[in-house]
Order: sequence, then structure tokens, then C-alpha cells
Amino acid sequence: MTDIDLLRGLAPDEAARVLALGERVELGAGEELFHLGDSAESIYLVVLGHLRLTLPMQVRNHEEDVLVEERSSGQTVGWSALIPPYRFTLTAIAPVDAEVIALSREALNAYFEEHPATGYAVSLNVSCVIGHRLQLFQAMWLREVQRMVELRCA
Amino acid sequence: MEMLLMGACLSVFGMAVVCLAFGAATRDLGNPPVVAPGAGKEMARAAASPARFFVEPPVLPMAAHSSVPIEALLLQIENHVRQEHAAAECFLASPSALLLHSRSVSTFVN
Repeated sequence: MTDIDLLRGLAPDEAARVLALGERVELGAGEELFHLGDSAESIYLVVLGHLRLTLPMQVRNHEEDVLVEERSSGQTVGWSALIPPYRFTLTAIAPVDAEVIALSREALNAYFEEHPATGYAVSLNVSCVIGHRLQLFQAMWLREVQRMVELRCA
Repeated sequence: MEMLLMGACLSVFGMAVVCLAFGAATRDLGNPPVVAPGAGKEMARAAASPARFFVEPPVLPMAAHSSVPIEALLLQIENHVRQEHAAAECFLASPSALLLHSRSVSTFVN
């Protein structure tokens, strides 16, 4: 449980109580957990297997889902469920059998109202996940811009 | 007689060479080759640069070749994303300009 990034810093019994709010969801190989643009009602903790996060891209006039990131056991996906406008900005697919715990926004908000210290700790963890993604993609974006500059100015 | 035969052979050979050259010159005029996205500018730049003796022509990235099957192209993109992801993780672990612009071995851009 301490390996779950969303629950880092929580006491084991408190982490167990947060997990108990969730619902286990099993995904078969190739099954989609959520799709780009869907309404985001739950955040997901990967328990088993891994998930591919993809975005559509035009490749030779065909729309293809291109890998953007992979999330594995202990990691969180779908934080769009906690951030307005509550729409998924990626598509998540299980390339192999996987299992996740779905925590609904409604259940989390209700629990955090009663347990603000837990809400604060989880919010900090969510901001770490979001911040890491931001920094990572900022660096990746700048590397691509650098290549464009080299191509144009060569 | 031998001279006549040799002349005939040379004529046939010359005709074959002319046919091959004509075939090569008129091939695929109606169907311009499909170019991979992103390769157009590079190829245009390569075509626009003046021809120079003893200078090797620019090597296009592997993905620029339209003969690469789409599955292989998608794999290249996927490997590229993974390598860029890893490079960005290295940069975040120890931020520096050197690590931010470290080279990768991605065939998609090399």
C-alpha cells in the first residue's frame, strides 16, 4: 500500500480506509479503461499489469493512437477526475490483463470533507503526480523544439 | 559475316539500353510517391541544396522513407517516445542544460 503514489505519507490504516472507498476493476488485454474526451468520474490506481496512455495522431492520413506514457502498478491514472472540467485528456488501454482500483470523485470528496488531513495528504500526492507529468512533458517538448531549431537553422 | 553479327549484337544491346532508360524516365509519373509526415521539409531542403562533388548526400531519417510499413513506423514512434521519456526523466533527476539536450539513439530522428 505504501507503494501507491496517491496514498504516500498516509498511515497504513488510513490508506486502507481510502482504498476501501474504491472498486476493483479488471481489464482484459486490449480493453479500454477510458477514452479521450469521456466524462471523468473516477481516478484509478493501477494494482496489476500496466496501462498505455495514448493520444490520436495522423500517421500517413490514418488516425493512430500513439503512446504518450505508460503507467504501472502503484501509479495513478485519470487525475482529470479531480480537476475541472472533469474530462479525460488521454485514452487508457490495458495491453495485457490488468487490474485497477476506481475511486470516484464523489466518494473521495465526501470522505475528505470528514477527514481533511487525509484530503490534504492525498491532494499533495495528486499535485506531485501532476507536477511530475508537467515537468516531464515540458522537457520532452523542449527537446523537440530544439530539434526543430537545429533543422531550420542548419 | 562476323562483323555483321557483331554489329547486330551491338544494335540489340543499344536498343535494350535505350528502352530501359525510357522506362526509368517515364515511370510513376501519374502517382507521386507518398512521403512520411515531417520528411517533406527535409527532402525539399536536400533537393534545394546545390549539388556538390565529393560531398555525400544528406541521409534522411529512417521514418522518412515511405517504404517503411506503418506498423514499423508506429513502433519507431513508440520507441522514440520511450527514449524521450527516459531522457526527460534523467533531466528531472539531475537538471542541467547538458542533460536536457542529451542525444538519443532514436531511429525516428537520427
